[in-house]
Amino acid sequence: MNGVTKRIRNWLEVRVGLDELLRSNLTDYRVPSNINLFHTLGAVAVVGYLIQVITGICLLIYYIPHADHAFRSVQEIMTRVPYGWLFRQMHVVGSNLLIAAVFVHMVTIFLMGNYKRPRELTWISGGLLMVITLCFGFSGYLLPWTQLSYWATTVATSIPTAFPVVGDFVSRLLRGGSSVTGITLTRFFAVHVSLLPPLFVFLMVVHIALIRRIGLSATPFGRSDEEKRPLTEFRKKLHPDGYPYYPYLLQKQALMGILYFVVMFLVISFAPTFFFPEEATVPADAFKTPESIRPEWYFLAPYQMLKIIPNKFLGISLQIILLAVFIFWPFLDTHKEKNIFKRPVLRGVFIVVMIAMVILMWWGRR
Amino acid sequence: MRRYVMLLGLLLVFPLTASGDYREEFEQGFLTKTWSGQQPEENFCIECHSSDKMKPEFLTLAEEWKASWHAQNGIACHDCHGGDPKDSSMSMSPHRGFVGKPSPAEVPEFCGKCHIGILKNYLESGNGKALRSTGKGPHCEVCHGSHNVQRANIDIINEQRCTKCHSYERAKVMKQALFLVEKKAGEIEDGIKALRRAGVYPEEQERSLFNTQAEFRTLFHTVDVNLVNERTDEFTRKLGAIEKDIQGTFIELRSQKNFSAFLMALFSIMGGVLFLIIRTPDK
Ligand code: HEC
Ligand code: HEC
Ligand code: HEC
Ligand code: HEC
Ligand code: HEC
Ligand code: HEM
Repeated sequence: MNGVTKRIRNWLEVRVGLDELLRSNLTDYRVPSNINLFHTLGAVAVVGYLIQVITGICLLIYYIPHADHAFRSVQEIMTRVPYGWLFRQMHVVGSNLLIAAVFVHMVTIFLMGNYKRPRELTWISGGLLMVITLCFGFSGYLLPWTQLSYWATTVATSIPTAFPVVGDFVSRLLRGGSSVTGITLTRFFAVHVSLLPPLFVFLMVVHIALIRRIGLSATPFGRSDEEKRPLTEFRKKLHPDGYPYYPYLLQKQALMGILYFVVMFLVISFAPTFFFPEEATVPADAFKTPESIRPEWYFLAPYQMLKIIPNKFLGISLQIILLAVFIFWPFLDTHKEKNIFKRPVLRGVFIVVMIAMVILMWWGRR
Repeated sequence: MRRYVMLLGLLLVFPLTASGDYREEFEQGFLTKTWSGQQPEENFCIECHSSDKMKPEFLTLAEEWKASWHAQNGIACHDCHGGDPKDSSMSMSPHRGFVGKPSPAEVPEFCGKCHIGILKNYLESGNGKALRSTGKGPHCEVCHGSHNVQRANIDIINEQRCTKCHSYERAKVMKQALFLVEKKAGEIEDGIKALRRAGVYPEEQERSLFNTQAEFRTLFHTVDVNLVNERTDEFTRKLGAIEKDIQGTFIELRSQKNFSAFLMALFSIMGGVLFLIIRTPDK
């Protein structure tokens, strides 16, 4: 180590106790020895979120949140602004990848039973993070002010009206009037860039702090001491016979983070119009309903579900209940068995839900 | 704990049994409407003219119009004939601006309300002057139809249509004079479509093509071969500039692809190196 870095290190050491800080967080922090690649998905989500923040700020420099200028400014980002196309593509492709990563993260946590006590709060904060990520996608979708975004938002913001008493109010609140206009655009813009990011960061900090405080779950399959002991006092889950976080898990996380970039650039290079169908290159026109309107892929399943339930109020209530079940799942499933392979009923329910989602998505696609 | 959560769930289920007084907009706007196609506005002209009250020889007009380029651009019966499409009893009253059916000699002015430049050139042309003086020249409808008006192209000039009154000789020379520019314009149109598919909004290129094409086609209505030939170079040059612009955009797209592929390769190599140096912990 050369002199300068040594001096900087020493300077920090005497002030903040750098060595101890690094040791306790990197090498003394131990993770279960049979940890698998799925445990890196949370870190991938953090990387994905950072990409959204950085590219989002770059877009913000040139984007104009006004109905008369939004479309043109986004086209200018794509054609005139140096590397604007790259930032926009990364932001758009990234938003979809991020949602996919977060979703897989959640499913694997579910399958490994890691939401069980004492980690209920971790699950809830994660569930809220998922909801906020979806809100990011929903609010961001309107911003380029294309035919696609305009009409998808028109349909989506009409959904709350199915709810009696407050539905109308909610819909008007979202739109800032009786239909989607420039007011809606500025509203969604405000939510997208100034309300959701701090909320997201706050929940992310809570989520990660909880994970560090409670300790990573032990072996995913098979019973560990955690479930056996009665929950009468806090006990951090240490893994004395596990591996140090640095370098073993960090390496894996970095590898998966890089893979995330590779997939992202793969889509940008070889399928640049994957997330831009024809309607996405036509400016919004309130008087011309396009041939086909459909929401983003991650909203297709709920969208189709609403469409096929004849009573809209029933449909929307069902979705709210499903969302509540999802968020509060650890309190509903208090069975001590973590291994899903020993729980045929839960396994069956899981498979049915997944298949139903795929079918609904496929169905809603057309 | 579990009991409270279930209670909460029950509370949420409770309103299900109530009947929601939800908005009509949702029921109609979200459910029944397929969200496709333009919402038809009530129009009494079309309604009455396609009902069985109509004379059989008029009955097809509304259908013809529906398939026309005018219909797609929002030009309806009353835009040409005047009248009030919102009021069934008074719709064809002259008080509401109804002008009825134009006589052949009136057709150029009838269409020229909107196609001003073309009207001017047409009236100065051999065809126009002939219509004026002897009533023998072709008016707009002869070449474009009245209700089934489609986008114009040079195939309107064909032996069948142009030999009704004189030999095909002059018409043929005219068609040849138009061919070069029209062919190039067709190619550019394909280029614009390709740009759209590539996710680019070709606003500027589209506008310049439209303007150039309209100007050229307006010129055609003089049916003056010499004039068209004289200005062919100028139009080819204008179209050439648009073509170059489109090609430039494609080159730009390709370099974007290359750059992004380069980044992908970079990250792949980083990943590969990391994969090789990753140590598996020894027990
Ligand atoms: C209540 C039914 C009705 C409505 C509404 C209606 N029409 Fe007619 N229209 C007729 C009938 C019937 C005729 C045939 C009259 C005849 O026998 O010549 C006719 C004839 C015409 C003609 C030919 C007139 C001529 O001089 O030969 C035109 C042009 C016309 N309609 C345009 C319109 C337009 C434009 C509108 C809407 C602004 C309209 N009509 C609304 C019933 C209707
Ligand atoms: C682009 C202008 C244009 C539009 C739009 C248009 N017309 Fe006409 N219409 C004409 C012209 C020109 C004539 C006279 C030439 C002819 O008889 O075809 C005419 C003639 C007619 C006639 C008399 C036909 C005859 O043989 O005497 C009727 C009836 C008529 N139009 C009804 C309609 C109705 C109904 C609509 C709407 C569905 C409509 N028109 C839309 C231009 C138009
Ligand atoms: C009320 C205004 C109006 C009247 C009257 C009118 N048009 Fe048009 N016309 C339009 C508009 C708007 C368009 C679509 C814009 C465009 O493509 O230039 C159009 C388009 C056309 C086109 C296709 C242009 C293209 O791009 O290839 C033709 C041909 C045409 N009109 C012929 C006629 C004829 C013939 C008449 C008379 C029977 C007529 N128009 C009367 C407004 C009018
Ligand atoms: C309704 C009859 C009629 C039809 C149909 C017709 N023309 Fe003509 N055309 C005339 C008359 C009349 C003249 C003027 C007398 C002449 O020069 O022979 C004329 C003149 C011309 C001229 C010479 C103009 C000039 O200033 O020297 C050209 C070129 C021409 N027509 C082209 C066409 C083309 C192309 C078509 C087919 C799209 C066509 N015409 C269809 C009647 C017609
Ligand atoms: C002798 C036949 C003939 C007559 C008469 C005629 N046109 Fe045309 N028109 C054509 C042809 C052919 C074209 C296409 C020219 C081309 O493709 O270069 C055309 C093109 C057009 C266009 C399309 C211009 C554009 O922007 O793409 C319009 C609009 C039009 N005509 C309107 C009229 C009107 C209005 C009249 C009556 C005043 C009229 N035409 C008379 C043959 C005719
Ligand atoms: C602080 C963080 C963020 C900022 C500052 C930001 C900013 C922006 C801006 C300015 C736009 C409009 C430009 C455009 O449409 O290309 C946009 C669009 C969008 N954003 Fe974000 N964003 C952030 C985070 C996110 C996140 C986390 C998501 C995750 C799902 C997301 C999803 C989207 C989507 C889907 C669009 C629409 C893209 C399009 O179709 O063009 N954004 N964002």
